[in-house]
Amino acid sequence: MDERLLIEAAQRDPRRFAELYENNFARVYAFIAYRVRNREEAEDLTSEVFHDALARISQFEWQGLPFAAWLFRIASNAIADRWQRNAKRREVPADDLEEAGADDGTERRAMLSQLVEGLPRDQRLVIVRRFVDQRSIAEIATELGRTEGAIKQLQFRALHSLRMRMRSTYE
Amino acid sequence: MSSLSIYDELDEAVEAMLRQPDLVPKRVNPELSDLLEVAVDLFTVPSADFRLRLKADLQHQAAAPGGVKVKTFPVVRGPRVVPVRKAAGFETDILPTLFGEGYGNYPIHRTNFVVSALLHVAAMAAIVISSAWIMEHRQEFQQRVVSLVGEPGAYALPIAKQKAGGGGGGGDQDKLSASRGNVPRSAREQITPPAVVIRNDNPKLKVEATVIAPPSLAQLGISGNPLAADAMQPSNGIGSGGGIGSGAGGGIGSGIGPGVGPGHGGGFGGGLYHVGGGVSAPRAIYDPDPEYSEEARKAKHQGTVILWIVVGADGRPREIRVQRALGLGLDEKAVEAVRKWRFAPAMRDGHPVAVEVNIEVNFRLY
Repeated sequence: MDERLLIEAAQRDPRRFAELYENNFARVYAFIAYRVRNREEAEDLTSEVFHDALARISQFEWQGLPFAAWLFRIASNAIADRWQRNAKRREVPADDLEEAGADDGTERRAMLSQLVEGLPRDQRLVIVRRFVDQRSIAEIATELGRTEGAIKQLQFRALHSLRMRMRSTYE
Repeated sequence: MSSLSIYDELDEAVEAMLRQPDLVPKRVNPELSDLLEVAVDLFTVPSADFRLRLKADLQHQAAAPGGVKVKTFPVVRGPRVVPVRKAAGFETDILPTLFGEGYGNYPIHRTNFVVSALLHVAAMAAIVISSAWIMEHRQEFQQRVVSLVGEPGAYALPIAKQKAGGGGGGGDQDKLSASRGNVPRSAREQITPPAVVIRNDNPKLKVEATVIAPPSLAQLGISGNPLAADAMQPSNGIGSGGGIGSGAGGGIGSGIGPGVGPGHGGGFGGGLYHVGGGVSAPRAIYDPDPEYSEEARKAKHQGTVILWIVVGADGRPREIRVQRALGLGLDEKAVEAVRKWRFAPAMRDGHPVAVEVNIEVNFRLY
């Protein structure tokens, strides 16, 4: 469905916001996670962005730009606010936040989520446990009942497969 | 062998990257550099659990009454769960929780399950026990409000030994007593009362004069009061309401009603037909139970109401009177119910006749 129609539907009935969420979740999360480098903080900020967007969806005015651009703007402000509140965090280049919304990196990282979903089951499980849940090779081997060497092989094959798929998509 | 070292080398680089996401290992096997670029980006892959929880949270916010409001709190972190696969072929937008979406949004409290299970067991036990008790006391419930003892015929007045009762009287307020004469033809319903002196020689609708009395009393000849003394001049009598005699109501004699003789109502002699002597008892064919009055129920008042009623030839109760009252609204309830009753009328000589009977209504609380 046309994104503009989805936005208008969500403005009439906020329950239709779910479709916009599904279409943009991965790229918003990738946008934030790449910048904060902390999974819990990325989840908090992503949650904040979508709750804020849902609350303000009635104020959104269609100007021909993708809905994601509006979400990136909200995300940039949320990240900036978060870092201003926490003085111990590193300094962030202002231009990084200003221009990051349109870069290819965000789209590539968002695409990576979908590619992980397309991996064979054992490879996908290893990737999720290793990079999302951040488990050690030994823990994964115990969970899956396999040797650590086998888990490392699966990790290698999964990364190689993802690399090949990314290359075929973007090159 | 070399391939195994590649796996180990890759994992060492991944491990270092996971410990310090900001630092990408510089000295790595060129064969692995491309893979590590992918590994770095994998850090931005969200967990499916978080994705589902946030979606459920947003749906809850969107569906909340009063519209959506700005939420300033981070999403609540629940226990990590493995996302539940969607059931193939089902549309999860309709019943998302049924197909596992949003599962694990809230922490699991075992005590809730225990309490819920106990409550369900208690509710089921209450339903089963109450149902069994109701079935066991079903008959009591049906008669809890009112119990009517037997057929109304069994509570009619004692059977007369010889002949039926009844009576009537009339007159047209003449100065002279009614003259002697014969009883006109009897009928079950009276349209024109008998008269010795005809006051209207040209009625618009001429109908034969009749009385409601046993047919055997009827005799040919001049109408009059068979019990009166001979008189010089014909007279309808000093009574009122038409008929002949000193009574009222279109009959003959000193009584009241369309019959003959003293008494009232009809027939011959001293009142209504009574059961016995060739008159069968009426039989109730529709007898709904009376209700218990609220105040009597609260006061736990019980006892017996005796009603005197006339069961007409059409089987309908008439002239219902309370012979023995019970009070607290039970008398009214008994009258109200008996008024709805219908009877197979009493029969005499193959014809339905009106009779008087007593009805006993028992009110008992169990």
